[in-house]
Amino acid sequence: MRIAVKPDPSEPRRVVDEVERFCLERALSQDIIFRFQLSLDELLTNIISYGFEGTTEDPVITVDIRLGDADIEITIRDNGQPFNPLEDAEIPDISLAAEDRPIGGLGIHLTKSFIDTLAYERVEGFNCLTLTQPLGAAGSEESPDEH
Amino acid sequence: MNIETSYSGDTAVGVVSGRVDSSNAKDFDGELSGIIDGGATNLVLDCGSLRYISSAGLRALLIAIRKTNQAGGGLALCHVPENILEVLEVSGFVRLTKVFETVEEAQASFK
Repeated sequence: MRIAVKPDPSEPRRVVDEVERFCLERALSQDIIFRFQLSLDELLTNIISYGFEGTTEDPVITVDIRLGDADIEITIRDNGQPFNPLEDAEIPDISLAAEDRPIGGLGIHLTKSFIDTLAYERVEGFNCLTLTQPLGAAGSEESPDEH
Repeated sequence: MNIETSYSGDTAVGVVSGRVDSSNAKDFDGELSGIIDGGATNLVLDCGSLRYISSAGLRALLIAIRKTNQAGGGLALCHVPENILEVLEVSGFVRLTKVFETVEEAQASFK
């Protein structure tokens, strides 16, 4: 399934809803839904807010969902300025006190923590970020059913 | 996202439901600021019906933590669902605010 995304701040929530519907229709776990909702809100908000600063391109943003036998893969593509969130994003210092904390910078950190596998490539003028999550145990050693 | 607030003295209890994401974090910030600026120096947020919170929501939460700290009070959370607790752990917010099982325990932490 492909979702076309407009460069509008209201779009991340619409995409999150569509991905939730896709996952629910296929009886995927709430845990997987949560991880993708969080990550898509973070990544799409970044692209829409900053990705096209200083570019003259007409924004093209797409989200593709592919369900395999063992995992689910979501690829976000945008023709904004080259940005590899796996390398170009600053790593926040989460040990700082409330008063010393910078106000931003957590989104990509959360995405990296909540998604099992992330892969970035720049292809023909597009940033392509693929998020892969196994359908079984969800990224952490603990099974959510054991609590 | 919705917050239903009740007051007892200078402590407010806000029951947060729905999701706090990039689209409504400003509203979340506005509601929390309204509660604190209205005189509640201690704020308990009951997160039992919170579906998710993204980094934009954490920013609003950080502002509320600073404000209650500056007012000589504090902010505490309770009934935090497991996946949201993971967000708080990964972001380091468990060090900035206390997390309790129940509203009563959270309220008692201010005494």
